[in-house]
Amino acid sequence: MTLFFWVSFRLLSPSNFGSSRQMVDYLQTSIQYAVGGCGLYFIVVMGLFDFSVGANIVLSALVGVLLSRHFGYWGLILGCLLCGTLIGSFNGLLYSRLRIPSMIVTVGLMLILESVANYAVTLDKAGFPGKLSSGNILAFGRAPWNYICAGLAFLLMFFLLRSTKIGTYCNAIGSDELIAKNMGVNVEHYKFIGFVLLHFFVGIMALLSVSYGRGMLAVTGMASMDRNFKPLMGTFFGVAFKKYGYPVPAIVIGEFIIVMIFNGLVALNVPTTINDFVTGAVLLIIVTLTNRGRKGSVVK
Amino acid sequence: MSDVILRSENLCKRFGITTAVNDVSLEFEKGEIHGLIGENGSGKSTFCSTLCGIYPVTSGRFLLEEKELRARSQVEANRRGVSIIVQEMGTLPGLTVAENIFLGEEDKFMRGIVKNTGAMNREAQRLLDGYGFKRIIASKMIDNYSFEDRKLIEIVKATYFNPKILVVDETTTALSRSGREELFKVMDRIKSGGNTVIFISHDLDEVIDHTDRISVLRDGGLVDTVKSSEASAGELKLLMVGRELTNRYYRTDYDQSVSDEVVLAVDNVSVPGEMQNVSFRLHKGEILGIGGLSECGMHETGKAIFGASYGRSGSVTLKGGYSVKSIPGAIRHGVAYASKDRDNESVIVADSIRDNICLPSLDDMSKHALLNNRKLDGFARKNAELMSVKMTGIDQYVSALSGGNKQKVVISRWLGKDSDILVLDSPTRGIDVKVKADIYALMSELKERGKSIIMISEELQELLGMSDRILIMKDGRINGEFMRNRNLGERDLITKMV
Repeated sequence: MTLFFWVSFRLLSPSNFGSSRQMVDYLQTSIQYAVGGCGLYFIVVMGLFDFSVGANIVLSALVGVLLSRHFGYWGLILGCLLCGTLIGSFNGLLYSRLRIPSMIVTVGLMLILESVANYAVTLDKAGFPGKLSSGNILAFGRAPWNYICAGLAFLLMFFLLRSTKIGTYCNAIGSDELIAKNMGVNVEHYKFIGFVLLHFFVGIMALLSVSYGRGMLAVTGMASMDRNFKPLMGTFFGVAFKKYGYPVPAIVIGEFIIVMIFNGLVALNVPTTINDFVTGAVLLIIVTLTNRGRKGSVVK
Repeated sequence: MSDVILRSENLCKRFGITTAVNDVSLEFEKGEIHGLIGENGSGKSTFCSTLCGIYPVTSGRFLLEEKELRARSQVEANRRGVSIIVQEMGTLPGLTVAENIFLGEEDKFMRGIVKNTGAMNREAQRLLDGYGFKRIIASKMIDNYSFEDRKLIEIVKATYFNPKILVVDETTTALSRSGREELFKVMDRIKSGGNTVIFISHDLDEVIDHTDRISVLRDGGLVDTVKSSEASAGELKLLMVGRELTNRYYRTDYDQSVSDEVVLAVDNVSVPGEMQNVSFRLHKGEILGIGGLSECGMHETGKAIFGASYGRSGSVTLKGGYSVKSIPGAIRHGVAYASKDRDNESVIVADSIRDNICLPSLDDMSKHALLNNRKLDGFARKNAELMSVKMTGIDQYVSALSGGNKQKVVISRWLGKDSDILVLDSPTRGIDVKVKADIYALMSELKERGKSIIMISEELQELLGMSDRILIMKDGRINGEFMRNRNLGERDLITKMV
């Protein structure tokens, strides 16, 4: 599939698409989304969703920037990861305590996190608010450190799915919560773990995003939602291909294909609306073809 | 020392007002295969589900080797040495074969938080090979295997730890001849190891051949326990269903003629894997009963008539020539359907009585696509009161109603729609005697008004008591037809059912 899209766009736009340099750029862009996609896999496979991913990326990145002013790289890394994970714990806790659908809980949290992010920006007096000022602190925005960071995240995901109970239990809960419960799986506990892991990976994505963009802008009015969807596309690939094995390669390749299509259409000067249309349609076609439901089965 | 390994003492299990298991005291001996039989709804599966921790016990207790057993999950029951192979699919897609076999038991392969997947796969493969299922690969996703192979995997999962008690709940229907042989080998192995198998099946010959003793349940209560070597299929059938027709709330007329006018013609209707070449006619003002064992195809017949079956062939034609092909078409042309699975297929539990009653009639009540709330309220109230639904008001959620009142809401909905043909699948399932009497009275009244009813039921008394004509289905086909007759008895129906 990757080769098909590369050949197609290369033939249509040989001068603007698909050189080795450009392919490296596409890969670098896609890996940050793939890291978020790995995190989302833990809850999407259980039938849950989290709208606060984008808001958490913004807030965690800003906390990372704030801490980097005092502690350099350690502040940036720990700020992003700890803030992300803490928010994940909070989301998981609220979801299990409030006993209302994850979509509703996380929309509320998204609004709260956006507000907190706007407040966090006002605390940043040491430089341009939200901007990573020192050139020495941008290593995660370029090779090799972005690859190392994302690679470690993918390895961690692979390890969690293959070598811990978490992967098995998340899949079991997604397949049939009642049977999983009867088999002794602590469903509420693993849903909580799912949220924590999602936002740990979101923390890593925030680290990459803030490094790529050399800073982070706080937004309001649910604008952070925009950041949810690119990682989610990779997750859909992962879920669609999970029956063929472990989903990490599917998430990474899926994100790469999406980024490649997006850039291919840009190279062809296709307007943004058409670009979104084609990207969405390709996603639907691929997921539909790989994930056909049984006739009469209820699909939600 | 006593030979009794497991004992139930005055065991009861209730779901709301429905008593599924009623005061059952039973003993199971070491090294025996103990058959458990009864009609659908007699409480066999519920009894075993409480044993295995799937449902909590309402009252009474189980004693395993004289120690109380009160499992809260299947894994807890497994740890006490009790295991079950269930009727439905008991494996989870999206996991490997090995993950399914050891689900809930991963700690055996954990070192800290790290799971040794290789060791788990090797151990699962060793078990599969030991059972003779070498073609099943432990590391493969379970989705790659057929229904039968997945049942075989369940057998391994349920027995690899050599349980003291193994429950085999209606598993043989999912297996081919060779699959059954494999299962019987496993059962014999458990028996020869001094442990016990509880074997549930509707195939009485199979039960007699493969068990030492047989207990019969009826309406949730224990009827008798007999030695298999001294039992015959005929005697067991009588114990299962042989009751006198004593209840007074059924129809008492036996000489009413039914109109010749055909309102529904079912011709060569087949649904893959469910029913084959079913044909019959329904007349105006007729109550047509359809009976048989649960999996005989009768429930699918109801769906097929209503246009709710997938892959249906053949034709369902209404008076006037309309051919039913979809649910909206059926409803528009006066066909109503109440499913056996009330909570999932008939009522919207998380919605009000008003909305549930009005739903199919919204088009009739709207004017220029606008709905008048006062009109909807009046419509819902009138039909709910007609059926004497016990409620605090029409805004009450259906989830708060008892099973019987939910059924009344379903019937109110179709009465409001003024449907001419009612397909009622198990209309009195799980409801009390008073509501049963109400529903029977309503059916008689509808018949008087010229409405036609297809009543699908696993209750023989109900079929005999209410139907003008009875069709008995077996293995997806119509196997017998009986006209209403004072001398017709359950034994006549049973001969065509089993």
